[in-house]
Amino acid sequence: MAAVAVHQFAQCITCHAWSPDHSMVALCPNNNEVHIYRLVNDKWEKVHVLQKHDQIVSGIDWSGKSNRIVSVSHDRNSYVWNREGPEWVPTLVILRLNRAALCVQWSPKENKFAVGSGAKTVCVCYYEQENNWWVSKVIRKKHDSSVTSVAWHPNNILLATTSTDGKCRVFSTFIKGVDTRESKTGSSSDPKFGEQIVQLDLSSSWTFGVKWSPSGNTLAYVGHNSMIYFVDDIGPSPLAQNVAFRNLPLRDVQFFSEKMVIGVGFDCNPMIFAADKSGLWSFIRFLGERKESLSGPKSGSQFSEAFGKLYGQAKHGLSNDTVEPSKIQGAVHDNCINCIALLNKKGSETKRFSTSGMDGKVVIWDLGNQQDLKEYL
Amino acid sequence: MMAAAEKFVEADNAEAIITRIEHKSRKIESLLKQNKPVEALKTALEGSSHMIRDERCKSANWIVVHRALMAIKDVEGMFSSLDPEYYDILMKYLYRGLSTGDRPTCDQCLRIHEKLTERAGLGCILRSLADTVNAI
Repeated sequence: MAAVAVHQFAQCITCHAWSPDHSMVALCPNNNEVHIYRLVNDKWEKVHVLQKHDQIVSGIDWSGKSNRIVSVSHDRNSYVWNREGPEWVPTLVILRLNRAALCVQWSPKENKFAVGSGAKTVCVCYYEQENNWWVSKVIRKKHDSSVTSVAWHPNNILLATTSTDGKCRVFSTFIKGVDTRESKTGSSSDPKFGEQIVQLDLSSSWTFGVKWSPSGNTLAYVGHNSMIYFVDDIGPSPLAQNVAFRNLPLRDVQFFSEKMVIGVGFDCNPMIFAADKSGLWSFIRFLGERKESLSGPKSGSQFSEAFGKLYGQAKHGLSNDTVEPSKIQGAVHDNCINCIALLNKKGSETKRFSTSGMDGKVVIWDLGNQQDLKEYL
Repeated sequence: MMAAAEKFVEADNAEAIITRIEHKSRKIESLLKQNKPVEALKTALEGSSHMIRDERCKSANWIVVHRALMAIKDVEGMFSSLDPEYYDILMKYLYRGLSTGDRPTCDQCLRIHEKLTERAGLGCILRSLADTVNAI
C-alpha cells in the first residue's frame, strides 16, 4: 500500500502546505482561515488558526528555510505570516488586484513569491528592506484569462504560469536589486521583468498545475481535457509531448525525478507518468489501489448507474451488473484531489508526498516499496 | 485586417474542402459496396478535425461520417480494427449524432458510444467536450 497515513481534517480542503521539518501542516478548510495542525503522539492537534482573510484562502505556501507562510485569498489580498514567539504575525501585501487571488508559490530562494489571479495578472512580490514591506510588481497584458497556477524555475528568475485561456507561459521575473544578473548563462541573456520567454498553446481547454523538473529542463502541466503536457527546451523552439489518457482530468502535478511525474485530479487516485530511455512520456499506472474494471463503466464505478440509464435507452433492459456504490472501491480519497506536495526528508532517498482534496482528507504516500518505480526515481 | 484576410482565404478553402468531402463520399460508397465498413469509417473520419470552420463544410462532413456510422453492423468487430488515433474524433461525431434526436441515429450512436467508452475511457469523452477549438 502506497498510502501510509490518512487523516480527515475537514469536510473539504482547498490547499495545504508543510512546515520545514514536516511536523506541522497548514491548510484551508474551505473557508477564510488557515488552520495549522501539529502531529503530537500520532494525533493531529490544531495549534494555530490564522484569521485575516475575508474570503476563501485559495493558496498557501510555507517557505522551507525562512519558515514564513504566505496566504492568498479570493478577497484579493495576500499576507505573509512570520513566527514571532508562539504567535504568527501577519503582514499585508498590497497586490492591487480587482479580482480573486488564486494561487501562490515562494521562489526557490524565498526572496520572492508569485501570485496568480482572476484579474488575468501575475503579481511578483519581493521584500524591500528600507521600507520594511513587501512590494508587488505586476505582469499584465499577457494572459487572456485567470491564472490558475504558478511555478518557479530553480534559477529563481523564470516563472511558468497556466491559465484558463488554455496556454502555459514562461516569464522572466528579474528584479534589479533582488536578483543577481548571471551573465553568459545559456537560457536567458537579457531578462527584463515581465518579458514572456515562451507561450505554449498545446491545449484547447483550461490548463492547471504547472511544475518544473528538479533541473528545470522539463516543464509539465495539465489540461482539463484529460491531457498532460511535457515540454523540453523552453525557448524559441520547445519540444512538446502531448499525452492523452483515458481517465478524468488532473488538477495538479509534481516531479519526483527528471523522469517521473505524479498527477492528481478527479479520479481521486494519484497517476504515475514516466519517461522511458528515449524520453517518451506515458502513463504507467495508478498509485493507490483501484478495483480493476474489465468492462469500463460496469463494475463498481460511480458512473455505472448513469451509464446504465444512458445505454438502457438503446437496449431492452438494463444490464444487471450495474450496481451500487457512489464510492470508488479501494480508493483512499473519495473526492477530487486538488493539491499535491513533496515531503522529502533531507538526505533520504525515500520519496514521500502528500495529497489533499475536496473530501477534506490529507493522505501521505510513500513510494519506497513500489518496486516497479525504482528505475525512474 | 488579419481576420478579414483569413475569412477570404477560408471561403476559397471551403470550396476546396467541399470537393474533398465529395471525393471522400464516393470512396466511402465504394468501400461499403465491397463490404468494408471499418475502412469506410476511417476514410470518413480522416481530415475531419483541422481547418474546418465553415458550417457548410461541417455539415457536409457530418453527412459522410453519418453514412459510414450507420453502415456499421458489428460494433465489437469494428473496434478490433479501428486504430486508437480515431477514438477522439469518433467520440465527437457520436455526440453530434446523439444531438440529432433521430431515433435510428441515436440508437446506433449509443451502441458505439458504450463500446468506445470501454476502450477509450472517460478521458475520450472529456476531450470531445473540452475541445472548443476543433469543433465538428
